[in-house]
Amino acid sequence: MPSSISNFKNKLRLPRLFFRKPSQLESIHGGPPLEYERPIPELPWRGLTVVVVILVSAATLVWELYVRSIGYGPTLNDTDDLWVQQRRAIKPESVVIVGDSRPLFDLDLDELQKGLGKRPVQLAIAGSCPFPVLEELANDQSFHGTIVCSVVPGMFFAPGGPLLETSEKALKRYKEQTLAQRASHHLGMWLEEHVAFTKQEDLTLDQLLKRLPIPNRPYAQVPPRFPPYFQTVDRERRTRMIESCANPEGELARRIQQIWLPLFTPPPPPTYVPKELFMANMGKAVEARFQNTAKAVEKLRARGGRIVFVHFPHSGQLKELEDRLNPRTRDWERLLKETGASGIYDEDFPELSGFDCPEWSHLSAGDSVEFSKRLVPHLRKALQM
Amino acid sequence: MLFNSLTFVVFFVVVVTVYWSMRSWNARKNFLVTASYIFYGAWNPPFAALLFSTTAMDFWLGRQMARAKGHHSQRGWLVGSVCMNLSMLGFFKYGNFLLQNFQWLLARIGIIYQPPHLDILLPVGISFYTFHSLSYTLDIYRGVLKPTKSLRDFILAVSFFPQLVAGPIVRAGDFLPQLVRPSALRAGQFLWGLLLMTLGLFEKIVLADTMLSGSADRIFGYAGPLVALDSWLGVMAFAGQIFFDFAGYSTCAIGAALCLGFHLKDNFRFPYAAIGFSDFWRRWHISLSTFLRDYLYIPLGGNQVRPVRAATNLVIVMFLGGLWHGAAWTFVVWGLLHGSYLVIERVIRALFENKAWAGNLATRLLSGFATYAAVCVAWVFFRAPDFTVASRMLGGMFGGHAHGDAILSTREILQITLVTAGMILVHWTLRDSNIETAVMRLPRWIVAAAWALMACAIILTQGNSNAFIYFQF
Repeated sequence: MPSSISNFKNKLRLPRLFFRKPSQLESIHGGPPLEYERPIPELPWRGLTVVVVILVSAATLVWELYVRSIGYGPTLNDTDDLWVQQRRAIKPESVVIVGDSRPLFDLDLDELQKGLGKRPVQLAIAGSCPFPVLEELANDQSFHGTIVCSVVPGMFFAPGGPLLETSEKALKRYKEQTLAQRASHHLGMWLEEHVAFTKQEDLTLDQLLKRLPIPNRPYAQVPPRFPPYFQTVDRERRTRMIESCANPEGELARRIQQIWLPLFTPPPPPTYVPKELFMANMGKAVEARFQNTAKAVEKLRARGGRIVFVHFPHSGQLKELEDRLNPRTRDWERLLKETGASGIYDEDFPELSGFDCPEWSHLSAGDSVEFSKRLVPHLRKALQM
Repeated sequence: MLFNSLTFVVFFVVVVTVYWSMRSWNARKNFLVTASYIFYGAWNPPFAALLFSTTAMDFWLGRQMARAKGHHSQRGWLVGSVCMNLSMLGFFKYGNFLLQNFQWLLARIGIIYQPPHLDILLPVGISFYTFHSLSYTLDIYRGVLKPTKSLRDFILAVSFFPQLVAGPIVRAGDFLPQLVRPSALRAGQFLWGLLLMTLGLFEKIVLADTMLSGSADRIFGYAGPLVALDSWLGVMAFAGQIFFDFAGYSTCAIGAALCLGFHLKDNFRFPYAAIGFSDFWRRWHISLSTFLRDYLYIPLGGNQVRPVRAATNLVIVMFLGGLWHGAAWTFVVWGLLHGSYLVIERVIRALFENKAWAGNLATRLLSGFATYAAVCVAWVFFRAPDFTVASRMLGGMFGGHAHGDAILSTREILQITLVTAGMILVHWTLRDSNIETAVMRLPRWIVAAAWALMACAIILTQGNSNAFIYFQF
C-alpha cells in the first residue's frame, strides 16, 4: 500500500495530463490565448459621462457655496501629516511647543520669535496628552533645544485612552509616513487652502451623520461630541479662533462651552472592572506618569536641553470644573517639584490672568498675540535666557 | 500608494494620459513597468528591489524548468521556485510567529528560551505578488504555460500596479497573453473602467470606512462584556466592512486595469447570497480560492479520493488559506472553521440532496441565512486580535452576557442595519447575474444618477485615506 507521501507525489504529477501543444499565437508567451474579456455594458458612455461630470461639478459647487454662506472658510486640517511636517522641521536647538490645544490657540509664533530669538515649532496636539511627544523628544539624542510644555492636568496625567492614543498616533505617523502619504499631504494642503468644505473634523459624511438628531437607547455608551469648526490653521499649525467665536455671548461660543463640560468630565469607571481596582490602577498610572515625566526631563537636561511647563488661561464653568477635578497643589506643584523644572502658572501673574476665553478654553486670535507678548519675559526668565 | 489617496488620483491621471499617448506597444509596456515600480516604491523604496528579485528569480527558474530534460529535473526547479517564494514569505510574514511558537513549545518541555524579536517590516502585498509570481512556475510545471521570453513582460505581469498589493491574484497565464498585442483605446471600456473605480472607492470610503468600520472597531475594541444585540451588530458591521473594503479594492483594480486596456477577472460574486460554503468560496476572493483549488487541493487528490481523504484535504487547504491571511492562530482557526463548514456541508448534501424539499425557495433562503450566520461567526476569529476577544464576542453573541453593556448608538445601529440589509438584498437580487448585466438593464438616468451620487458621496467623505484591510496580508 502506498504511503501518504508517495500518494501526494503521484497527485503532484497528475496535472501534467492537461498538457497541450500551444498555438502559434501562444508560442510568443506560451500561455493560452486570451479567453477572458470583460463584458462592457453597451451604453452611450460619452453622453453619460458628460451628464455625470456636470451633476458632480454642480453639486460640489453648491455645497461649497452653502458651507461658505454658513461661516466656513478654506483652512488646513490639523492632521497627523501636518504635525509630522513640523516634527521634521525640528533642529537640534529648536524651541518646541508641546501640549494640548491651548498653546495651539494661545501662542503666537511671531511674538515668540521676536521675544526668544528663534521661531518655535508647534507640536501641540488638540485633545491629547502631551507626554508621549515629550518623551519622544527626550529620547531623541539629536535634540538639545528648548521645550515649552502646556499642562492641563486632566490631560497630561491621563492614564490611557483617546488622549494618549492621539499623541501616539501622530508619533506613529512620524515614524512610518511613506513617500505617497507625504505627497498626498502636500496635495491635500493645496486643496484645503482653497476649498471651504474640506473640513475633516466637521463636514465629512461621517460627521454629518453624527449630527442627525436621533435619540439614543437608554444606557448606550455614546462618546461625547467634539466642537464644530471654530478655528483656522496655517502651515506652521498656528491656530486662530474665528471671529464668530470670539464673542462669549455668541451662539457658537456658547455651544462650544457646553461641549467642553462633558468632554472634560472624566467618564464613569467601566462596569466590567471593580471600582476599587479601577481607581487603584488609575492611581498607579498617574504615579508612573510623574516618574516618567521626571525621567524624560532628566534625559533632556543631561544633553543640555531646557523645559518650562506652562498653565494657560481658561474661564467660566470649565475653569471651575478643572480646578475641582485637578487641584493645583496636587498636580501642578508636584509636577514642578518632581521634575525640578520651571513653571509658569497664569494665575500667578496679573498680566497673564486677565484674559477671558470666549468659549472658556482658548483665547481669541487677538488676545493670543497680546498674551504671547506678555508671556515672553516669563519664558525668558524661566529658561534663563 | 492607496487608491483612496490624492497621490493616486494624480498618479493615475498621469499614467493614463502618458500611456495612451504613446504609440509603441513596447514603450507602453516599459512605461507601465516604471509606473508600477513607482506605485510600489512610494510605500517603501527598498522593497521594490525585493519585488524585482522574486520576479527575476521566478523568470529564470521558469526558463530552466522548460529547458530541463525529464520530469525529475523539472520538479527540482519547481521545488526551487516554491521554496524560494515560500521561504521569503515565511521570513517576512511568519518569522516572529514561528519564533514565538517555538519558544512556547520549548517552555512546555521546561526549556526557557528568549528568542530575539526580529524587527521585520512586512513588505506590503507580499502575499499577493508572491502568488502572482509563483503561479508562473506552477503553470509551466503543469504544462499549461510556456515560459515567456521577455523578462520585461513577466515583470509587468507580476507588478502591474492595479493588482500588485491587494489582488486579485492574477495568474501569469491570464495576464501574459494580454501583453502579446496592444489593445486599442475604446471609450466604452475606458469609461466603464472609471465607473467601476468610482464604485470601488464608494464601497471602500463610504460604505466600509464611514458607515461600518467605526462600529466594528468600537465593538471589537470594547474590553467588557456586551449584550447579544451589540455583539451581533459588531460582527455584522465587520462582515460588511471587510466585504466592501476588499471587494472595493478589487473593483478599483479591475476598473483601473480596464482603463489601461487589460481585463482582470472578478474576485467577488455577491458572496453574501451564497447557499452553502462551497458556494461562498466560489463567490468570495475567487482568485485565492481558485489558486488554492488548482495548486493545492487538486494536487492533493481533489475529489478523486475517498471521502475521508477529500475532507482532510479540504481542511488542510483551508488551514493554509487561513494562515495565508496572517501570522496568528486566530486566522488559523478562521480557516479551520471554514474547512469544517465545507466538510459538514458535504455530509449534509450527501444525506439530503435528493429530498424533494432540498431545492425549494424556503430551504434555499434558510440555507443562505445559515451560511451568512456561520460566516459571521467565523469572522469573529478573523477580526479579533486574540482568543480572549474572540471568546468574549462569541459569549455575547450567544447570550452569555445577558447583563452586558450596550454601547452602540441608535445611529450606529441604523447604519449597520440599513447597509447590511441593502448589501444582502443586492447580493440576492444579482446572485445569478453580474454587474454588467444589471447596469445594462437599468434606465440610463438611473445609471447616471447612481454614478454621480457615488462620486458626490466620495467627495463629501473627503476620502479619508484609511489603508485597505487586505494590505496587511
